[in-house]
Amino acid sequence: MSQHIGRILFRAFVTLLMVTTLNFILFRVIPGDPSALLLSGARISVTPEQIEAQRQSWGLDRPLFPDQVVDYLSATLRGDFGYSFKFRGRHVVDLILERLPATIALVGLAQLIAIVCGVMLGLYAGWRRGGAVDHVATGASLALYSTPSFWVAMILVVIFSTALGWLPGYGAYSPGANSLLDYLRHLALPVTAVALGLIGQYVVVARAAMSDVVSEDYMVTARAKGLTNGQMLMRHAFRNAMLPVVTLITLNLGYVVAGAITVEAVFAWPGVGGLTVEALNARDYPVLQGIFLLLGASIVVANLMADLAYGLLDPRVR
Amino acid sequence: MSESSVPYSTHRRVQAFKGFLRQFLGHGGAQLGFVCLVCFLVLAAVPNILVGPLQTAVNATGDFLVPPSGQHLLGTDEVGRDVLNLVVHGARISLTIALLATVISLIVGATVGMTAGYFGHWADVWLMRLTDFFFVVPSFVLALVITPVVLEVMGRGRDILGFRPSIFVIIVVIGLTSWAFVARIVRSQTLSLKERTFVDRARVAGTSNLSIMLKHILPNLVPQIAANGALVVAGAIYVETSLSFLGLGDPLQPSWGTLLALAQRAGAASAGAWWYLGAPGICVLMVSLSFVLIGNALDDTFNPRRRVIP
Amino acid sequence: MTDFSKDNAPLLEVDRLSVDYSLKAVSARAIENVSFGLRAGEAVALVGESGSGKTTTAMAIAGLLSANALVSGGEVRYRGERLPIDDDAAMRPHRWSETSVVFQGAMNALNPVHRIIKQIAEPCRLKLRMSRGEATARARELLELVGIPADRGTAYPHELSGGMRQRVMIAMALACRPSIVIGDEPTTALDVITQAQILKLLGDLRSRLNLALILITHDLSVVAEACDRVMIMYSGRIVEDGTVGEIFAKPKHPYTKLLIDSIPNPAKGKRMIRPIPGDPPNLVSRPSGCAFHPRCPSAMAVCTTEVPSLDPLGCGRVACHLHQSLTQEDKIAAHA
Repeated sequence: MSQHIGRILFRAFVTLLMVTTLNFILFRVIPGDPSALLLSGARISVTPEQIEAQRQSWGLDRPLFPDQVVDYLSATLRGDFGYSFKFRGRHVVDLILERLPATIALVGLAQLIAIVCGVMLGLYAGWRRGGAVDHVATGASLALYSTPSFWVAMILVVIFSTALGWLPGYGAYSPGANSLLDYLRHLALPVTAVALGLIGQYVVVARAAMSDVVSEDYMVTARAKGLTNGQMLMRHAFRNAMLPVVTLITLNLGYVVAGAITVEAVFAWPGVGGLTVEALNARDYPVLQGIFLLLGASIVVANLMADLAYGLLDPRVR
Repeated sequence: MSESSVPYSTHRRVQAFKGFLRQFLGHGGAQLGFVCLVCFLVLAAVPNILVGPLQTAVNATGDFLVPPSGQHLLGTDEVGRDVLNLVVHGARISLTIALLATVISLIVGATVGMTAGYFGHWADVWLMRLTDFFFVVPSFVLALVITPVVLEVMGRGRDILGFRPSIFVIIVVIGLTSWAFVARIVRSQTLSLKERTFVDRARVAGTSNLSIMLKHILPNLVPQIAANGALVVAGAIYVETSLSFLGLGDPLQPSWGTLLALAQRAGAASAGAWWYLGAPGICVLMVSLSFVLIGNALDDTFNPRRRVIP
Repeated sequence: MTDFSKDNAPLLEVDRLSVDYSLKAVSARAIENVSFGLRAGEAVALVGESGSGKTTTAMAIAGLLSANALVSGGEVRYRGERLPIDDDAAMRPHRWSETSVVFQGAMNALNPVHRIIKQIAEPCRLKLRMSRGEATARARELLELVGIPADRGTAYPHELSGGMRQRVMIAMALACRPSIVIGDEPTTALDVITQAQILKLLGDLRSRLNLALILITHDLSVVAEACDRVMIMYSGRIVEDGTVGEIFAKPKHPYTKLLIDSIPNPAKGKRMIRPIPGDPPNLVSRPSGCAFHPRCPSAMAVCTTEVPSLDPLGCGRVACHLHQSLTQEDKIAAHA
């Protein structure tokens, strides 16, 4: 058991190390002095003091190895990712932390809805494989699975915001308004777009898991024991079918922040995704690096959680 | 599965292939995907004949954001270009990127997987650790940070084969970040294949490792590579569309994702210009779905799991 | 027929049972006109190749036919009462309390995420309406009965050996005190020594609890140890039915002869397994007449056109034109 956890932790460490290494390499591959880039690439005036601070924090005057590597690693460990190009030398960490709550609200709510709807629908479709619900759910979820969620978001805006005028399709607050209801109304369409994409995945996986379980021998045993369909579902099928589903959901926790980037771009949602788009457009590399590290870390943490969750649910792994 | 992977005469190969084709095309989903895909490939092959050369802001033929009409079947965009024209030319760009990226991804994945599986030991340990990384971190996230940097490094060079260099950057980045899944599957297949007698026989006969891998192992991996290749294409389309939507595409050679980005920037959604953002989106959906359906059908054909009679 | 005499009323009667499976476009007849009786405490083996219909027969008796199966003729009676084997819901109360099943390869037949004690106690709780404590106590009793220390009940299936899992499966089968236990290849996945132990356990339990046993197998050597009577099935029909001694000493049907010849028997100097030439018939397009005639060494012209009926012969039954002349009158009666 402890060996198992040790291996999981080691893998997580290696992945994080590689993310950091990639960050380090990418940044130094960019042609020219990064401080010059700060001036030209950012197309924004920066004070000489800020350039000097930047140069020092990067340690660009010292040898690449080991000094720069060590410095970079220790800065990263301290949570210091330097200053943003675009936002007038603000700390990258501050920028990201400022945007994180909006993303977490969006992604969290979407996950919740997707888990409840998608998993239940998928499990039911797999249980009644070949039935009407199965056909509709499978068709729809394959289509959703193949559709970029930002396009779903744009269509939602056209229908519910532009044509029907029911919900706002831009930003997080109406000018002047500051109520929770207003926030939720702004949240509705982005959450729907992200949730629909997740539902597509969850239906596909939950259905596959359930239809695998249905054809297992122990389900025949359960039937032979004289259990009712309901008892077979709840006592024998459900928990086994949930094993891969729980893994996917936990893994997804690490991916949705990345997946929501394009949706946030559609709605100009003031989250990490919106920040990513702004950073991309301004070639704001320090911010991009910070976001990359955040995404990498959340993926690694989600993987850790998935491994541990699987161990808790499946006695064979313990 | 097991029997069909043993090398045999050309005649039996042809027989097996015909049987496979019959079964594969028996899938309703595969038929749909196949027909749909052929249509798009035709669009991508000869866009100029079908809709004339790519329209630009200079040679645009219509007014701004006109809804679909007899003259412009799919309406026009914010500078008066014909959306049908853009979408058909977009097919060429999107499919080229997706297919070439998939080729790279399959080559890298198959090479890494076969090497790791065949040689084992340290090669396996290190290659699989590398694969784990690319498996865990999705292609989209990696491409998101790598693409802008590489674009910056490459600058804007000359066209290659009629495509702009930035398109090749996207192809290579997607290809090099999306092979992990293929590598894992190829590795596990190689592990079981290398224990089989025909590989032993070749080894005893003094065949070199390289030619055992190419002549004996690779041909037997084709089913797995094909089935997963279709899914890799779907993934590549998704990543390309998302990257282009975030502004990393080339506006001079717009893919469907770039068109969606332009539509977004032009405020097509809030202007209610459903044709402008609808057309490229539906194309993405159809092509991507086709590949998913074909991949599923291939997977089903190669791994028949369900038996009808107990 | 001999077994159905009034004074010796059978526990279970299978009466001219036919089952079809509907496939995509066609329907395949899995068993046809299967008739036999089973007395309390009797051990019968159903032997045949895969696809011979032995499993379908057993699943029909247990009321476990799959959704695409159709009972196209005949019936199954338990203590003289017709079982609703084609009605899943109506069959539910009969399952496990009258007939239980020991499935093959107990690894997959046991649910991997539940402790074995819970799985054994489950039918006690649900069918016998026992309290949790009573059901657990009964499950512990059952574990001891099959030779597993009751404290091992907290184990998960994957923590047990193949033989132990098969014992758990047997304990589970006995939970509701059934009068018939069906063993569906119960020893197939086990090594020879464990096989013998499991067969001995089944034999002991059978005499101790007066259980009737139906053993499904393709392995005639298993039959010799554990059963009184053997029924040989081929392509959905019973081709021969007789006592173990009779079948092994004087097989009558050519297929039975070939089956017995194919058992490796080092004592008689037969080292090589002699396989039966030809392939088992396709259930969708079965050969005309006697389904075995394409592979039969003594096939006659009549075998290709007429289905031989299963007629009494000696103290058993056989369906073969070679033996048909003796009972020509019965055959005419059956056709009428």
